[in-house]
Amino acid sequence: MRKFFPVEELARDSRFHQVTMRDRMADGRSVYRSEAQSKKVNNNRLVPSRPDASDAARGLMHGIFVGEIQALEGAGRTCHDFETNVEAPFALKLDMARQAWDEARHVEISVKLSDWMGSEIGQFAENTVLFEAACSTDPVLRLAGVNRALEGLAIDVFTTMKEFGDLAGDPYLEFCEDWMLADEVTHVKMGSDWLRRVTEGDPQRRTKALEFQSVVDKLFSYGGTRSDSQESPIGLARRFRELAGFTDDEVQDIAAVSMEALDERKAAVARMHAAAALAEASGQAGTHG
Amino acid sequence: MADPYKPRAPFAPWDRRELPGLFDVEESARRVGNYKWAEMKLFEALGGWVATVPELDVKMRLGTHCYKHAWHADLWHKRLPELREMNPDRLTQPANDAMVRFVEALTEPEAPELTIEKLVGVYRVFIPRFIAAYTFHKNNTSQITDAPTIRSLNFILQDEFDDWRDGEMLIQSLIETPEEVERAAAHQARLEAIMLEAGGIAGRGSIGGDTGAAAAVGASNGSPS
Repeated sequence: MRKFFPVEELARDSRFHQVTMRDRMADGRSVYRSEAQSKKVNNNRLVPSRPDASDAARGLMHGIFVGEIQALEGAGRTCHDFETNVEAPFALKLDMARQAWDEARHVEISVKLSDWMGSEIGQFAENTVLFEAACSTDPVLRLAGVNRALEGLAIDVFTTMKEFGDLAGDPYLEFCEDWMLADEVTHVKMGSDWLRRVTEGDPQRRTKALEFQSVVDKLFSYGGTRSDSQESPIGLARRFRELAGFTDDEVQDIAAVSMEALDERKAAVARMHAAAALAEASGQAGTHG
Repeated sequence: MADPYKPRAPFAPWDRRELPGLFDVEESARRVGNYKWAEMKLFEALGGWVATVPELDVKMRLGTHCYKHAWHADLWHKRLPELREMNPDRLTQPANDAMVRFVEALTEPEAPELTIEKLVGVYRVFIPRFIAAYTFHKNNTSQITDAPTIRSLNFILQDEFDDWRDGEMLIQSLIETPEEVERAAAHQARLEAIMLEAGGIAGRGSIGGDTGAAAAVGASNGSPS
């Protein structure tokens, strides 16, 4: 078996369909509303009162499901890809094996929750960007990208879904999300601890890892999906992030990156509206002329 | 209530544990080092295969089992210093070259169509050898002096039996044609031949016979007590 498994070869059964991040976000059933839906609304947070809440929650749950599969695959690969005590400490690999078990349980939980919410495996497309973050040849970069950036995002997502379950009067959903949230806090903390330990005395490597984390954080703030603003479907779970070992400054940085992504999206939408208005105006001028 | 000052036998009548055992400290440590090496190779392989199998149920089982074998490796890692090996890496070794070749052959299948081969190697060859070596160790080491090893063996054996059953049932559910039966059997035979050469997880004598181990301590003349 090779070391460093390419993302294009992730093994899936015939129900799965893989797409890019951009394609997925453009899916009309995504948690982020289409422009027409959200034109006059400032609150995009995933709450049961949203008219499209059912579809959006199903889509998010399916995203969690495929994300957990990739997290399981990523943790498993870290057990395999690095030589023990040469490229990665024995204890780090033990933690990754533990994480593989946790992620396997999360797949089990999310597949049952998807069924409970009335959706099927493969109903929504799979975006494989999570596993891409787990493909680095440096285990420290994997920890930064996966355990800190992506599992950090999972903390935000599970907190939002837990609140959704609470508001919707769905104790089954709330219960399961809370259990998964507990595991994710552990995984992020694992990443924070190992990042510190492995890069102790190697500030350059630590800086590189934190930069990679920042890139992944930005990527997953794509379109302002996650931020402190009510305009984002997913909120930033500050308290749980602190429990997981993020410093106040780090949480602040993520909040800033997320807001920046949201503002970028809003600016892009404004540009699109302006272009459409201009095209319409010039069309009308042509007709009259 | 019975008189608390009345002398009682140090071993209750139902406690039939014996002092003699087949392994001295060095031999026990050598075996534990071989176990740790093999458990490490197994958890690394299971973790690596998760991304390569398309079957969702198999994917989840491999992730779960990956952790169990990592935990076994950790138990053995922690046992080694208690057996006077202060540098656990020194004894974390394969039993012999054939065992290295066995692991190479075990981990060779990678393509998504080879789930049967992956599972056969683990659940029909490797794990039965773990069960055999661990059972032999548990039944032959001193029940009193080596009790910490026995305690770990009991936990680990429970996992091994559970995982073997899981894996065997997955294999049975995946094999649907006579050709697949042959595929499974051929791969098993190939791996068994290498394992035969290796002699088991701890080399020759993994399950007795030609043990090459230290002489039985106190076994020939009964308990030294």
